[in-house]
Amino acid sequence: MQRDRVIQTAHVVANRRLCRDHYRLTFRLPMFPPARAGQFVHLSPERRLDDSPMESHDRWVSELDQPMLRRAFSIAGLRCTNTGVEVDVIYRVVGTATRWMESLRAGDPVSLLGPMGNSFPVSDRKPVAWLVAGGVGLPPMLWLAAALQETAKRVVAFCGAQTHDLLALTLDPTAQPDGSAKTATPSAKEFTKCGADVVISTDDGSLGFRGYVGSAMAAYHQANPVAADDLVVYTCGPEPMIRFVAEYCVARRIECYVCVERNMACGTGMCQSCVVPVRDTADSTGWSYRLCCTDGPIFEARNILWETPD
Amino acid sequence: MLPAMGGAPLETTTVDLSVDLAGLRLANPVMTASGTSGFGPEHAEYMDLRKLGAFVTKAVSPEARKGNPPERIVETRGGMLNAIGLANVGLERFVAEKIPFLQSAGIPVIVNVVGHSVEDYQTVCRRLDSIDCVAGLELNVSCPNVADGLEFGTDPQRLSKFVTAIRRDVHRAKLIVKLSPNVTDITETARAAIDGGADALSVINTLYGMAINVDTWKPILANRTGGLSGPAIKPVALYMVHRVYTKVAADLGVPIIGMGGITDWRDAVEFLLAGATAVAVGTALFVDPQAPIHICEGIAAYLNRRGLQSVRELIGKLK
Repeated sequence: MQRDRVIQTAHVVANRRLCRDHYRLTFRLPMFPPARAGQFVHLSPERRLDDSPMESHDRWVSELDQPMLRRAFSIAGLRCTNTGVEVDVIYRVVGTATRWMESLRAGDPVSLLGPMGNSFPVSDRKPVAWLVAGGVGLPPMLWLAAALQETAKRVVAFCGAQTHDLLALTLDPTAQPDGSAKTATPSAKEFTKCGADVVISTDDGSLGFRGYVGSAMAAYHQANPVAADDLVVYTCGPEPMIRFVAEYCVARRIECYVCVERNMACGTGMCQSCVVPVRDTADSTGWSYRLCCTDGPIFEARNILWETPD
Repeated sequence: MLPAMGGAPLETTTVDLSVDLAGLRLANPVMTASGTSGFGPEHAEYMDLRKLGAFVTKAVSPEARKGNPPERIVETRGGMLNAIGLANVGLERFVAEKIPFLQSAGIPVIVNVVGHSVEDYQTVCRRLDSIDCVAGLELNVSCPNVADGLEFGTDPQRLSKFVTAIRRDVHRAKLIVKLSPNVTDITETARAAIDGGADALSVINTLYGMAINVDTWKPILANRTGGLSGPAIKPVALYMVHRVYTKVAADLGVPIIGMGGITDWRDAVEFLLAGATAVAVGTALFVDPQAPIHICEGIAAYLNRRGLQSVRELIGKLK
């Protein structure tokens, strides 16, 4: 049977610090199935389960500091090279799994399952696309910006962080972000190289707009009106942030796609843990759960129920 | 005569991995654990299911269940807690939408069954007993994540009566009772299940567990508590398989499906030595959906190294 998603041993090419607590991890794989922006990879330590009996105890002791379950990371970039495929993920060190990732060095093996999940729908109908990213919601937007470069869209990326040194972007010192969020500037190289301008916000006002990235988007929208029919919004980030963006768009009939994050055990649809409640007219209750891993992680904003019905 | 249920050959030519589970011939002793590989298609994307000894489905109840709100899982040291809440499509949709795939899988299928009442279990068992590809029915009387889950599973007298009532409606499929570890003495519930007419026992279900967020002072799981699985519970599960085998099941000739934290062939061999006739892999599938293949190959290599002809030579051979 042909299987699109496979478990592979990937080897670390680089693990570069981007800013405080944030790193970009690049893997090399001999091959990788076709993948699109919005999809994720599921990572875990490479475990050799058939070690000799003498190594068994050592294995378990060494694994006490490693995650048992895989962790899902949006693909931040993907390149074909002459030795295979390179995949980037960007992570913030927050717990057991990301501390393990921080310890990885070039040449280290990692078990990789993917590409997983669906992808951001991209159509030619909308001339304007806004990418709204909060914190570690940034990585899928980087790849999406690269993908949108091939379309004729005018793209603006809204990037928010708690404070300036948690913004995992290469800032251009010659193009300062607009503190009022009324204009987008070529202020982050990752986006400007894709032809996208950027609005930057920080919760504490240490860089760009002071406040949440959703508010920055609303301020920009007010200063730069665009017809709802001409605009598509893509968003990823912490739940309150993506909810704000989603509800803002739904209220204005703006097409909006949300990249949802959930704790997952398997990522393959087997464990049924990563549920997202959605409107479902086919269900007698009017709603049902979908799985973030196989039905998502991208959901249309108007379908998501932000409070789980009783 | 044992029913021939197919099963694809693994590349393990020199040793015999087949086992007899209460008259059901399994091509090898490695099965999936209920609730960890969906209803089949999800898992089939990652491995050839014909390499399994048997496929065990997620629980099926008479009515569709949405399951618990999130969070439904949390990783803990060496394991994980889950409180999925037996989410499933319900009996009729299961029969219409899931059975055709399972039928085509070509391996023995065991359906995990759950309900609110004896009648619920009877409804599901009666219906599925009439479907040929369902080789076994595993009664889930030990789910820690629903209000009614443990009702039948922890009191030996009630369990015996409960199994007796189901037994009357199950004529063809093997009747398997999945025992809870959340009891004082698992040999009492094991004996009660066998008295009621169980053909085989699944030992063990998950252990009660909990995790708390110290920032919010709230439980991490929406269900507040969950079932602990994974390598952390393996010693407990192994002990309980050993107890049930030596105190009850061996003498009565009732086979045990051992489960709880099995991640590699060595774990599987330990369960077989402790008295299990077959083993089920659960949490390990979340990390590696191909784990059953690796485990089978590992068992075969082990038998070769030890100069043993058949995996059956391991069962209950603990010294």
